[in-house]
Amino acid sequence: MKITGPFIIYTYDGTIDGLFTVVFRAFQSRSAPREILSLRLGTQIPIGDITAVESCPEEAGRVRRGIIERSDERNLRLLQVAHLSESKQTDMLLWKYLKKLFAMPYGEYYRNMLDEDVYDLVQTARRVKKEVHRFHGFVRFQRTRDNMYVAAIDPDNDIVRLLAPHFKSRFPDRHWLIYDVRRKCGVFFDTQSVREVELEGNAFELDTGYIGQKARALDEDYYRKLWQTYYDSVNIQERKNSRQMRSFMPGRYWKYLPEKSKK
Amino acid sequence: MKEKVLLKLDILADAAKYDVSCSSSGSSRGSGKGVGNARSCGVCHSFTEDGRCISLLKILYTNNCIYDCAYCVNRRSNDLPRAAFTPEELAGLTMNFYRRNYIEGLFLSSGVMRSPDYTMEQLNEVARKLRNEYRFNGYIHMKAIPGADPLLVREAGLLADRLSVNIEIPSEQQLLRLAPEKNYDTVFSPMNLISHSMLESREERKKYRKAPRFAPAGQSTQLIVGASPETDYTILKLASGLYGKQKLKRVYYSGFVPVNSYDSRLPALQQPPLVRENRLYQADWLMRFYHFRYDEILDEKHPVLEQGMDPKLAYALRNPHLYPVDLDRASYEEILRVPGIGVRSARIIVANRRFGRIGFGHLKKMGVALNRAKYFILCRELPARSNTLNSSQIRQRLVKSSNGAGKQLSLF
Ligand code: SF4
Repeated sequence: MKITGPFIIYTYDGTIDGLFTVVFRAFQSRSAPREILSLRLGTQIPIGDITAVESCPEEAGRVRRGIIERSDERNLRLLQVAHLSESKQTDMLLWKYLKKLFAMPYGEYYRNMLDEDVYDLVQTARRVKKEVHRFHGFVRFQRTRDNMYVAAIDPDNDIVRLLAPHFKSRFPDRHWLIYDVRRKCGVFFDTQSVREVELEGNAFELDTGYIGQKARALDEDYYRKLWQTYYDSVNIQERKNSRQMRSFMPGRYWKYLPEKSKK
Repeated sequence: MKEKVLLKLDILADAAKYDVSCSSSGSSRGSGKGVGNARSCGVCHSFTEDGRCISLLKILYTNNCIYDCAYCVNRRSNDLPRAAFTPEELAGLTMNFYRRNYIEGLFLSSGVMRSPDYTMEQLNEVARKLRNEYRFNGYIHMKAIPGADPLLVREAGLLADRLSVNIEIPSEQQLLRLAPEKNYDTVFSPMNLISHSMLESREERKKYRKAPRFAPAGQSTQLIVGASPETDYTILKLASGLYGKQKLKRVYYSGFVPVNSYDSRLPALQQPPLVRENRLYQADWLMRFYHFRYDEILDEKHPVLEQGMDPKLAYALRNPHLYPVDLDRASYEEILRVPGIGVRSARIIVANRRFGRIGFGHLKKMGVALNRAKYFILCRELPARSNTLNSSQIRQRLVKSSNGAGKQLSLF
């Protein structure tokens, strides 16, 4: 099949179904995208030949099945994880990758890490997973008066859903909420199951991630103080190496870490 | 009461900070009932200003000590504020930190209060409270106190995920000089007891799945580097034996932080030997992940790790007959020995070369340090033994191109 282009700018709703629908349409109309824009985070839409695609579960499903046929379930998950990356080129990378996956003989292409796009896809997914791993550590819960544990996060990538399994097995006996304040999307656990939630208003102070004084459990400030004290006392002055500390824990993550923001 | 805990935390975290191990990996404790798991591999919750991972609440039960080891801030002859937790305080603190996801668990060590048995019993009590009263399934790393009754050490092993006994000084002769109240027997007998009990429990569990686990995340130890005159060769040889014989999971190396400068038995250091410490970690990695034997890294004629380059590069320069390594044909082990190529890259190369010839572009993408690797490989751009540089020429170029080698403390 011949695909012409690239001419068209596609926009979609930011979901993986939306992106797969774009891929489906591009194949159907044989017209490769010049750009694919997710409308999720208030993207500026440039002027030009724009095709707005509404996500269609049917068509997305066909792309999904195609992916599994030509690779496997694991590879589909890899694509889904990579799609959560907020890096600008991700959508186009996924397009380039899928174009090749669908053009080549079954089961060969996706294993070839010497192919640039395969490698980049694996790397993109790896970066997302790395951030998930980091946030297994960087999430900071605060206890509320009604004994719920809540945390604000602001990660680079859209990972809040991927955090749920870890915390579900770690704190199975408490209600907890992890909330991405920038994307306004959270996961809430009620000791039975995990739900996606969107909060009204500002439950968290945006510069510190703290919940309001009235909502905090009485011992909350005390334990935060203890933690800050602990952080300061384990430092070894003679070994100071801020550069290394920053490379493991970049400054952009500090605002919701009480030991670093010190408010 | 709250103020008191704050003060104790300040003193007893400060006193514990020279113990460098922090890893919380390698256990699997479910969360069937109760709270927490010790499953995830080495989660860091924060990083100290000196760039070390904070994973566990690393703290001393008390900094009181009846001993007088020269290299230790907590020795009895130092005049400093002393404190001790109660088991209840420490268990409560751990739980509250854990619930807020500040930590993966507890790393509990202690000065020796009254007697080794008494101290070990206190530590066990903290762990018992956590496991039984709070139903805590998170990670617990405990020190086995040298000289404590084997029964108490056994109990500790049934409560903790990891146990450690610090050797501290890498030769017995020097240990006797710096810590006259200790000897290698007080260190190695609990260590051997632990590795024996671990083996036993593993065998038992093959027969009965419900048999109790003993220190499922294994044991580790720490060696202080630079407080005594042992060479790197002696240290690596010791470490290699510990991995092999005692089946240790980790050996940690701690550049001596010059405390107690009044004690004339200690060397006068301006600052901790950080570069040396880093080179030892690199050498340790070579033994654990790169299939190197200690006597390939150093030998009696070359007993000291070069400060100016990583030990793999030094090895390659001493063994030019083993290179260049052909990336399209060589075995995984051979590729691992190329300076600048890490474990992940080596795996990718071996798994993917059937798709085509490996080239510079691929290597760069994988993060291979080409500036080093290029002298030691054959690949698409280097099809035959074209570079005729000898070891000393390569050395010259590489040392020139990495002027900051002494400051840069990354692994490979
Ligand atoms: S026994 Fe431990 S705490 Fe006591 S002085 Fe020696 S090293 Fe320090």
